Amino acid sequence: MLGIDTKIKRGSGELAILALLDQEPLHGYEISKRIAQQTGGVLQFNLASLYPLLYRMEKRGWVKGKWEEAQSGRKRRCYHLTPKGKKQLAPLREEWNSFFQALHRIAGVAHAG
Amino acid sequence: MPDDQELIKAHLGKLGLGTRREEEIVRELGEYLEDHAAALEASGVARDDAARQTFNSVSNWPALRNEIVSAETGESIMNYRTKVLWLPALFALTLSNVVLALMQIFGTPPHFYWFYTGGRMAPYYVFVFPWLISQPVVGAIAAYSSRRAGGAVLHQVLAALAPAIALLGVFVLVLPFAMILEGGPHDIHPSAFLILTMTWVLLPSVPLLIGAAPFLRKPQAQS
Repeated sequence: MLGIDTKIKRGSGELAILALLDQEPLHGYEISKRIAQQTGGVLQFNLASLYPLLYRMEKRGWVKGKWEEAQSGRKRRCYHLTPKGKKQLAPLREEWNSFFQALHRIAGVAHAG
Repeated sequence: MPDDQELIKAHLGKLGLGTRREEEIVRELGEYLEDHAAALEASGVARDDAARQTFNSVSNWPALRNEIVSAETGESIMNYRTKVLWLPALFALTLSNVVLALMQIFGTPPHFYWFYTGGRMAPYYVFVFPWLISQPVVGAIAAYSSRRAGGAVLHQVLAALAPAIALLGVFVLVLPFAMILEGGPHDIHPSAFLILTMTWVLLPSVPLLIGAAPFLRKPQAQS
């Protein structure tokens, strides 16, 4: 599998995280697991790539982390999508859609969208 | 796990974000590593191997530390390569040249060795011995700065060798172009370049590397 350039990965990571959190609040490990699963392993985030991104998004007010207790009694910091993050989702989707359409036009790269 | 958290704390060092926030970050990263190790164990990896693989999944803790601090403080991210290579290299280059200039100003005489080839005086060696002796300190500072900023061993070596590499650039690129552009009067024997390269690039590289050697290692310990 070809690796994805870091900058593209970071940009696409924001969209992926917002889209996942739009469905339900998740903790960091679950976010990275679902991104890997749902992209067939093309996008993969580990601790070092995920948390700086999450903290940056939290700082911008797009997501909010809260310590929550699981049924097992273990506490984890779950990330919730904020109204501000929800507002970001549509323009980001549109931006990436335009990006893939442009790539498709110039290089025949089809997008999954 | 508390053990994981202690290791994370040791690897990240102080973040300067306040005790409460730092503890929260360490705890959160610890939770992630615990989940990751559990997933590996569930896939059949032995417990010890899972713990080791989990911790080694972070290859560069100083870089992670910088990213977290940058994300938290909102400060502009200084390019990683700038921190680990360009700044230490620039510092080494400046320090090396300042030392050389000071030695020349305060009267440390260079040693000239002239050669006669084909009946004319041509290439020469110029040694400034005290300057050469000072170069291990320059190499050491550059390598240490690069390592401290999270640079890989290659970054540390390149930063330490910056004074020599810069001079190599001058001899290989600038001098020949300058001669071509300026035309004929500079009748320099081609072997002059070889000798200049040897005395100002290869020779200083040795003390620079000697100084850097004790500091060359991967950024912070990785378990």
